[in-house]
Amino acid sequence: MNIIIVGLGKLGITMTKQLVAEGHSITVVDTNNEKVTSIVDTYDVMGVWGNGVTCETLETAGAAKAKLIIAATASDEVNILCCLIANKMGTENTIARVRNPDYAAQMQFLRNELGISMIVNPEYETANEISRIIRFPSAANLDSFARGKIEIARVRIHSDNIFCNMPIYEIRKKCKAKVLICAVQREEDVYIPSGDFVLRCDDTISITGTRAEISHFMKQTGVYKQKIKNVMIIGGGRIAYYLAKLLSDTGRNIKLIEQNENRCYELADTLPDVTVIYGDGTDQDILDEQGLEFQDALVSLTGIDEENIIVSMYAESKGINKVITKVNRHSFSILNDIGLETVVSPQIVAGNLVTRYVRALHNSAGNSQIQTLYKLVGGKVEAAEFIVPEDAGYENVPFRDLNLLPNLLIGCIIRNGKIIFPGGDDVMKAHDSVIVVTAGRIIEDLHDIFV
Amino acid sequence: MNYRMVFYNIGRILLVEAALLAFPAIVAIIYNEKTLISFALTIAALTVIGLPAVRKKPKKTAIYAKDGYVIVAMAWILMSLFGAMPFYFSGHIPSFIDSFFETVSGFTTTGSTILRSIENLPKSLLFWRSFTHWIGGMGILVFVIAIMPKTESSSMHVMRAEVPGPTVGKLVSKLRASARILYGIYCILTAVQFVLLIAGGMPVFDSMVTSFATAGTGGFAVLNNSIEGYNSVYAEMVIAVFMLIFGVNFNIYYMFLIKQGKHALKNEELRCYIGIVIGSVILIAICLANTKYSIGDSIRYALFQVASIITTTGFSTANFDTWPVFTKIILVFLMFIGACAGSTGGGIKVSRLMILVKSGLRDIKKAINPRSIETVKVDKHTVDEPVVKSVSVFFATYMIVTAFSTLIISIDGRDLVTTFTAVLSCMSNIGPGLGAVGPYGNFADFSAFSKLVLSFDMLAGRLELIPMLMLFSPYAWAKKYS
Repeated sequence: MNIIIVGLGKLGITMTKQLVAEGHSITVVDTNNEKVTSIVDTYDVMGVWGNGVTCETLETAGAAKAKLIIAATASDEVNILCCLIANKMGTENTIARVRNPDYAAQMQFLRNELGISMIVNPEYETANEISRIIRFPSAANLDSFARGKIEIARVRIHSDNIFCNMPIYEIRKKCKAKVLICAVQREEDVYIPSGDFVLRCDDTISITGTRAEISHFMKQTGVYKQKIKNVMIIGGGRIAYYLAKLLSDTGRNIKLIEQNENRCYELADTLPDVTVIYGDGTDQDILDEQGLEFQDALVSLTGIDEENIIVSMYAESKGINKVITKVNRHSFSILNDIGLETVVSPQIVAGNLVTRYVRALHNSAGNSQIQTLYKLVGGKVEAAEFIVPEDAGYENVPFRDLNLLPNLLIGCIIRNGKIIFPGGDDVMKAHDSVIVVTAGRIIEDLHDIFV
Repeated sequence: MNYRMVFYNIGRILLVEAALLAFPAIVAIIYNEKTLISFALTIAALTVIGLPAVRKKPKKTAIYAKDGYVIVAMAWILMSLFGAMPFYFSGHIPSFIDSFFETVSGFTTTGSTILRSIENLPKSLLFWRSFTHWIGGMGILVFVIAIMPKTESSSMHVMRAEVPGPTVGKLVSKLRASARILYGIYCILTAVQFVLLIAGGMPVFDSMVTSFATAGTGGFAVLNNSIEGYNSVYAEMVIAVFMLIFGVNFNIYYMFLIKQGKHALKNEELRCYIGIVIGSVILIAICLANTKYSIGDSIRYALFQVASIITTTGFSTANFDTWPVFTKIILVFLMFIGACAGSTGGGIKVSRLMILVKSGLRDIKKAINPRSIETVKVDKHTVDEPVVKSVSVFFATYMIVTAFSTLIISIDGRDLVTTFTAVLSCMSNIGPGLGAVGPYGNFADFSAFSKLVLSFDMLAGRLELIPMLMLFSPYAWAKKYS
């Protein structure tokens, strides 16, 4: 698929990286020649140097024949204009990053009247992701399949966990919850475990199941965390605004610390149910004074990664139940090692969203049947949901007779709303939803899972 | 430096060379020649060394600019070492250094030979000689990129080190697709020339070999008298036109393919190239018409020789060493200039010359009015200042390497014209020079050391200096960047 990406900021680069890995033909456009050169050197893409709003540049980038354009420059207006022009020039689908809350109300208008296929607001999506994590604090991260029927949660095995050094078949016997361990991350490596795989301390496991069963599993294993009532947010940027709004709507107590006085007044004005504190949230005295130790959760959302990490580490040391850290430079892989379980970065969240859209686009072109797709463990593991087509050739064949690829796992099958964790006797039937977990390869079609 | 990845890539190239050697082996079978065994030995040697290198793909696949350069330089040197084996094993070229020189001359599309009599060689070796031109013309690493199922994202570093020209872009967003388009155009053009030559009555084997040599702008011929030996105006004109065609940037043909021919014809480098060709042909033809040649013959010889030299092919239809001095000087200029960037030809390249002249004019303007700011423009687009600078540096380095090589070669005690044009002809990948290395001469009489220096010049010229010169830097071999 021919895709044009305009703007090589953090989001643009993240998306280039992800979409190149999916095998698409990418053309990147930026006004900064150095950025274009460095991207062309690192990834297999074509670079065009110029302003993505001008017809000339878009023509050079091949807008007439492109399937999709993604406008991710720093300016919302440029992004919208870029999409409109590319659309008129023949690009079929358009995605614009629009993040000014002022425009949030007219998303519908942008989509329906101006014909922009998708509006991405990384800050809003990030806030949304954080609020989901806060609503379900036991998991480090959480994604859902089959319209929310099935969740996939990541949980860290701490050294006091009863599962330490226990093979997976034992766990199945001990724990009555109907969940499946579908991926294990151990330091830099990722495993798709079989029954005799032995878990160790500090592994991070991904489990699938319904939300109730996952909660059940966590209660049994002692990793269950209390419901979160009190949340402290450090930093009053856009993500903080959206997050505070989302969380206060669910009746939680929010304390937001921001160091710019004017911004504090703005926030206090727009968020009446939130306690806005004027002060430096990275100052230990202020954190203690504002009662950090009485909080259930702390979310550090300042614009500086280092400060977020330091504040989060301090909160961890104080024994805060749930600590969430926003990091822009996600490329450093040590954050898990220093004890920060839940790390969120806006460009990864937005990048996943766009990748999902691109996959769906690919589906509709008849190339693949993926319904939903999640990248776990820093993109090393993929969990994808497929619908079994009719007359596929492999339906109604028991799994023990099917020759599946190594490092691949059928997470579960959803048939008429019922969830099945397949054993050797189970079969796939037409119209079933099947969740496939794989490491190290891209599955585009259910056919690809067989040897 | 990522040594494992470098070995892996080089191993892959050696295996590809082994596969390519199957073609001359088939020729040896068809003509029932004894050289078959020497080809078989070479293929075996390449496989034995290449297979262990590619057996396991390294875990760390990241390569950077430096690794790209080292891969390209080492690949070309090793390819030439192994490619020389059939000549040596078969005993037709008794000295290994001579065989190496001949193969480097082949892969770099130079076409300088150390053979006093070409017609004595068996057909399979003649085929291999010209086939190396065809492989080297578009570049073997580009070929590897084209045939591999999946490109590593950093292959761009490799492509950039091998494809000639001041800036290297892609035709389409995927490198592999770009490489395939390039090779597609290359194959089709070669095939068209082959058919046209057969249609003109040239023997099938000669047509094929000559087409390979033209496509790579190499210049190895089958006959001792090069193209003159066929004495056919038709064949000469077909070859002249195709030499000029292969001297054009291949991006132009791609633009025709995607129906943007109008833009392609406006290309400044193309116009400049055609202008230089027409101007040189007229000047040389006028000069020749005043000597023993008729007007028709003057144009015929002038056109063929200009096409042969500017595209750095090096075929000959006349002994231009006996022509008037004025024409020889024009030919020496053309030797420096060379073909267009992104073509199969060598030399400094027309686009670099344009940038050099334009930046020179700009600096004169700046001397007149020091406060004036002006950019160098090609095709109405501003050329980046780093590119302008790199072109000047390239030119200076080219001159220094030429001068230094001339100094070393002069130890052999040949005359000035022979020594200088031998080096220039190797640096620009042309083939014949003037004097004793003229179209009727050869490189056999140089000392073994001189032949190695000239081989280095040929590789340096083909890979545009940096990859070869970098091998001398100890930092290039350090594991880390320093």
